[in-house]
Amino acid sequence: MNIMEPIKAVIIEDEELARELIKNYLKGNDMVEIIRECENGFDGVKAIAELKPDLIFLDIQMPKLNGFEMLELVDDPPETIFITAHNDFAIKAFERNAVDYLLKPYSKDRLLMALNKAVERIRNQVPAAGKVKTLIQAPITEKMERVVVKSGTKIKVIPVEKIIYLEAQDDYVMIYTAEGKHLKQATMKYFEDCLDPSVFIRVHRSYMVHVDQVVQLEPYSRDNFVLKLKNGVALRVSRSGLKSLKEKLSF
Amino acid sequence: MFNPLLKVRSYFIAYSGIWCMIAIIHVLILILFQGFSIGLAITESVLSNFLLALIGLGLWFPVFFSKLEKESIVNFILKHLFACLLSVGLWVLIHYAILNALFASNKEYKEFLVSSLPWRAGIGGLFYGAIILVYYLIINYQNFREKLTREAELKALIRESELNSLKSQINPHFLFNSLNSISSLTMISPEKAQDMIIKLSEFLRYSLSNKEEKLTSLRDEIANLTRYLDIEKVRFGKRLNVINNTNDKCFDHKLPGLILQPLIENAIKYGVHESIGQTDIEFTCTCAERNLRVNIRNRFDPEFHYKKGAGIGIQNIRSRLKIMYGRDDLLSVVQSGAIFEVTILFPQI
Repeated sequence: MNIMEPIKAVIIEDEELARELIKNYLKGNDMVEIIRECENGFDGVKAIAELKPDLIFLDIQMPKLNGFEMLELVDDPPETIFITAHNDFAIKAFERNAVDYLLKPYSKDRLLMALNKAVERIRNQVPAAGKVKTLIQAPITEKMERVVVKSGTKIKVIPVEKIIYLEAQDDYVMIYTAEGKHLKQATMKYFEDCLDPSVFIRVHRSYMVHVDQVVQLEPYSRDNFVLKLKNGVALRVSRSGLKSLKEKLSF
Repeated sequence: MFNPLLKVRSYFIAYSGIWCMIAIIHVLILILFQGFSIGLAITESVLSNFLLALIGLGLWFPVFFSKLEKESIVNFILKHLFACLLSVGLWVLIHYAILNALFASNKEYKEFLVSSLPWRAGIGGLFYGAIILVYYLIINYQNFREKLTREAELKALIRESELNSLKSQINPHFLFNSLNSISSLTMISPEKAQDMIIKLSEFLRYSLSNKEEKLTSLRDEIANLTRYLDIEKVRFGKRLNVINNTNDKCFDHKLPGLILQPLIENAIKYGVHESIGQTDIEFTCTCAERNLRVNIRNRFDPEFHYKKGAGIGIQNIRSRLKIMYGRDDLLSVVQSGAIFEVTILFPQI
């Protein structure tokens, strides 16, 4: 990229005045150009896919899709500056490779400092592929409440309570709910880290089950068991899976 | 219940020490003033004082079972008189019988023993009084200390609950987001920024004024709600739409202060925060002579808000109503489809 050219940035923030503030602070700044403003996470996903910005200013608390969930849906996330009133997400943000984390209200100098860091990173060109990997596999500090999946241009948010079970499929995980199934690009390890271990049990290399969905455990052959679920599905249980089932359900 | 002289180590040591001293004085008196042999003096002293000390421990029971603050003075005195006669009588009888048998051959001593019986009874009575006094002092001291710690605990509890109510009243995210909006407005429209600062200040002042314990008029509460909603409208713009159906006749009805704002805040949190389009919050107050009924309805997306049960905010309000009115049927929460509805009935006292 040409050094003289301003970097392209998108603002993703649900409050109008908060967007205005960023624009006003950056008015006349030749390092950055705001190429779009988005009012919510859905628009954010679309804008990033379409415009491929170098940088996003991202709010965390937004309707339907919060900032973190939105980032998960983006294939090649740009550099991110989080701007939020919540001070409890900083660790999570930096785990997601954030450039900076600004607490509202913040000064113009503070924003410019963050911008300088971002510009430096962008001009030094951190390889994008490495970023995606760390993004998806970063250890999660708190348990997930909902899972977001994307099929084509549609975005679906699934509360974890509605998940019946998960099945590993190569680089993807199939999420089964009462309404249907959804594919997400993630590993079983990712779900094992993110989901509450007292609710979801890894019963097999390829399966994770919601505790409440378990009906019974049946012997299949010697040393082999099959787990029956409420919706009639039967899943194979591995030896270590049997052990964790015994631990969690205490039988 | 348990005798403090036996329970507390230092008390027991002091009690034993005092009895040892009394025993030594007893021995000296017998030797120096009565001219008995050392062996006899020690035997009598140890025997009688040990017995008295034992009976003294037993006196905890009459003390424990007769509390001056719980019964009439006559009753109290009669009880102790009876206990005194019984214990002193027992003591005199037992130690007289044993000493009489032990020194049967010593005529001089036997004479002394018989002639000193009234004295012994008198001294026994005095000891009874002294021991009882010590017990009551211990009880009072313990009660006093207990009261002090209880008071300290109570104060800590009150302070904690005050702090909690303050925290729940002013949501830090609301505050910081509002300040951010003001920061933005100062660049776009200083007049609007000023207006918002004033509203925010008034809202904070009202919230900090400790109105929770008192009854306020609906007029004041609605004025505060309006300030709060005006601030939120600046933040959310068209996304927040409030429909206020308050009957003017209800303005002088009373309700606990700051009880409605958390409900509106909840409605905004689950309605406006989680929706992209416009969210209506419908606020309805109706009243009769004896009660005021407030109903708050908002639409929410059940797909995105799936948490079961009422939140902490609702629980707080329920317990406040219980404390204020002594009833727990005043608040009802209905969640049907995509509509969340809270209704509170405020009895007019």
